[in-house]
Amino acid sequence: MNSEPANRRNGDGSYQIQVRGQLAARWDSWFDGFTLSRPGDGTTVLTGSVIDQAALLGTLRKIADLGVPLISVTPTDFV
Amino acid sequence: MVTSLLETKWHVPVRRLGAVARPRLSGRLSRGTAARLSLVCAPAGFGKTTLLTQWLAQIHELSAEDAPAAAWVSLDERDNDPATFWMYVITAIQQAANGTIGTVALGLLQPLQPPPEVALALLLNDLLAYGGEMVLVLDDYHVIDRMEIHKALSYVIDHLPAHVHVMMATRADPPLPLSRMRARGELVELRSADLRFTHEEAADYLSGPMGLTLTAADIATLADRTEGWAAALQLAGLSLQDRDDPSAVVARFAGDDRFIVDYLADEVLARQSDDVRDFLLATCILERFNGSLCDAVTGRSGGAAQLVELERAGLFLVPLDDRRQWWRYHHLFADVLRAHLHEQTPDRAPKLHERAADWLQANGEVAEAVRHALASGQFAHAADLMELSMLAMQRERREPELAHWVRALPADVLQQRPVLALAFIGALAQASEFETLEERLTAIERCVRGESDTWPPRPPPELVVVDESGFAALPAGIETYRAALRLAAGDLGGTAAHSRAALSLAPPESNLIRAAAGALGGLASWTAGDLAGAYAAYTESVAGLAAVGFFPDVLGCTITLGDIHRTQGALSGALGVYRRALDLADEKADGLPLRGSADMHVGIAGVLLERDDLAGAAEQLAICERLGEHNGLPQNPYRRRVVAARLAEATGDYGRALALLDEAVGAYNGDYSPNVQPVPALRARLRLRRGELEPANHWAQENELSADDDPSYLREYEHLILARLLIARRDTASLVQASTLLGRLLIAADEGERCGSVIEVLVLQGLLLHSCQDLPRALAVLARAVDLAEAEGYVRLFADEGPDMATLLKGLARQRIRSSYVRRLLDATQRGGQRISPQQGGLIEPLSERELDVLRLLATELDGPDIARRLHVSLNTMRTHSRNIFRKLQVNNRRAAVRQATELDLLPTRRQS
Repeated sequence: MNSEPANRRNGDGSYQIQVRGQLAARWDSWFDGFTLSRPGDGTTVLTGSVIDQAALLGTLRKIADLGVPLISVTPTDFV
Repeated sequence: MVTSLLETKWHVPVRRLGAVARPRLSGRLSRGTAARLSLVCAPAGFGKTTLLTQWLAQIHELSAEDAPAAAWVSLDERDNDPATFWMYVITAIQQAANGTIGTVALGLLQPLQPPPEVALALLLNDLLAYGGEMVLVLDDYHVIDRMEIHKALSYVIDHLPAHVHVMMATRADPPLPLSRMRARGELVELRSADLRFTHEEAADYLSGPMGLTLTAADIATLADRTEGWAAALQLAGLSLQDRDDPSAVVARFAGDDRFIVDYLADEVLARQSDDVRDFLLATCILERFNGSLCDAVTGRSGGAAQLVELERAGLFLVPLDDRRQWWRYHHLFADVLRAHLHEQTPDRAPKLHERAADWLQANGEVAEAVRHALASGQFAHAADLMELSMLAMQRERREPELAHWVRALPADVLQQRPVLALAFIGALAQASEFETLEERLTAIERCVRGESDTWPPRPPPELVVVDESGFAALPAGIETYRAALRLAAGDLGGTAAHSRAALSLAPPESNLIRAAAGALGGLASWTAGDLAGAYAAYTESVAGLAAVGFFPDVLGCTITLGDIHRTQGALSGALGVYRRALDLADEKADGLPLRGSADMHVGIAGVLLERDDLAGAAEQLAICERLGEHNGLPQNPYRRRVVAARLAEATGDYGRALALLDEAVGAYNGDYSPNVQPVPALRARLRLRRGELEPANHWAQENELSADDDPSYLREYEHLILARLLIARRDTASLVQASTLLGRLLIAADEGERCGSVIEVLVLQGLLLHSCQDLPRALAVLARAVDLAEAEGYVRLFADEGPDMATLLKGLARQRIRSSYVRRLLDATQRGGQRISPQQGGLIEPLSERELDVLRLLATELDGPDIARRLHVSLNTMRTHSRNIFRKLQVNNRRAAVRQATELDLLPTRRQS
């Protein structure tokens, strides 16, 4: 059986994206649908949900556009 | 002259101020030109564009003569459409080659696109012929995500001549077969690791262009902390200028774990004057800008000088043209500025976008203005602008972009705008999204007419109409889309009715509507067998298409007009429409052949062939061949093979005729036209002529043809072949079937006023009666056919029927009916594929058939252009023939040629035309 919940087929759901560098507060509204938190280890964590894979890729592209190095992308709503 | 915004797309960027030489990288680029592709792949701000710009400038300085020509395309998201993408690439190449190549390929990207491979194959030929070294730079290729573009580019890279090299700057690996290219040594790569500044380069940069005096330790710290990231180093350099204690600043920076660009940009912005900071924040919403646009957005003056000053200060400004009129911010810096703007004054951006939209509108950049108006949230203004640019967008076939804009509008804004709503429907129909269309059409009608039955002459006050002529054309436009919907649903009668309504409602200047409504109605009427209705509708369509400049489409419709004429038995009418279309093509295409001209020559060949002018037909096919596939419309590949097959048949070469028809089956593309003369039917006819009944029986079975079928125009041709098959079977039952079938076909053709078909039915009835041993009636029927056929000069329709026809024609000749024409038919029928040439005794090199044709006309009063026209060839071709004639007759002028020809008895009076 497929271990993924049905709603993941389109890549929708919640994700946590960790990037290197502590992003300033002004970027908080830059990434549509994501909240930014700064755990204090020199990284920034973006948490939020997307409607499909394309939206996720769009967010990753925005991150790449800033030249911020990507550390990890983790789906967070696995049951 | 002011550079237009569009021109900046393919402008090779000027060398950036304050850039530092990086010989280790430029050396690799120089060596890399031996490979097919150089890939410069790294995140934003790694100096990709700067590196390529610098390298180009450097090799040019080294030796201007030896440097390759540079074609540059700066890509952005809007170029994600194959036609747009290739238009920019080919234009860049064309400019790099000083306009010597690419014109034809570019022309092919105009409306009615052939498969882009054809244009690209031509471009590759051009590049091969050009022969000079060239680099094609595609900057910011990561914005492209259409698979068609990647595939086509991959094809181009694979087939590039060795002297052309592609360089690509991108933030992400393109989906090209990179590993294969790597393995073959066809790829040179510069990636992030290569582009990072080494400690030495950082030292050169900071002490050189940046003018800083730093200790080796400080430099090492900066290089480490920025990880050699060019944009960060530049920001660091800027933030260190004029500091009393740079080491302290460096130390503070090193100890901070904020995102480095955030940290440094804060520092740099904090050190700007209020004016400069405000200028940066206000203008960062613009994608590309000049001084005047900046002034409009900031509400101040002096923008142009400010921009020059900012570039000098190293503030991430990229000049887009030589004259430093247009600029953009470095993408990364623009993002940082926009985030600052949003943080500091969240309400300011909409106002700035609004001003940008106004300026762009006033300066004729309406499409750019729409984007800013949408971003400003001024949807009404955005909608007004869309309505203003609607016609241009339709004419340039940019409906997808228009649809994208309209989708960004709130529903109520669109509801108030019937003209824009109709354009949106057009864009949806273009994309074959039919589901909601009827509903949308009704909604427009309801909001304009209200409860009334008639259209108001002026828009009701609650509606917004910017384009008044668009309002006048609404009723016709709605009917046109209804016709399209009916056609998609397969309702021919409904299509024709809505098309007629549209044509009667269309204001005279609504050319696009007339073109579309005419074509839809024409197709429906033609498919239904209403030739007169189809002809009238297509004629309207052609007029509309010609008025909006869609000339290849005019030629496309002409193929149909020619077919209709021929079915109606009007061979000269068919010649006339082909000829006029070629004249139009000559006039409109600036000396280049227009796409579709090949199809006109095929059409002429078909008519000449029917009139037994085999040399003329062969010549027309040769012209078509010379024009090449790219000058043919989608139907051309099969149509020219069909005519070539009939020509081969007429000269007795059955094997070749059959092979050509086999090819034609594979090359068939009906291009949305009804298939009224299916190639398999033509093949069955040829088989029958060779006496092979079995394949013909098989064909009839496979296509479920029966003598009991109701006659319909769409199957008329197949039924005529079926009748031939039945006659060929010669058994009584088959002959009876043939007789009833032909009787019904005759009535149907007569009612449909298809004179061409009537003649053919009569010919077959004659043959049938001959098979039934009823010679008197056979001759009577054939006499009717001859009566109808003489004026238009039909020959092959009789001659291709073989020995039985010869017997009948001899019978007519004995009765002295239309004797000269009948004798001609008899000659052609008995020739059995052997072209009879007049005696040419006394000549060392005999004249060709075509030369004899020219010679006959040289003996008349016609002048050169008239003769060329009469023979449907260009003046040049006709002159070549004359020269050959003079040479063969050993004379040097026309009068001597005619005298010599008369002496040699080459001008038989009976065949003078």
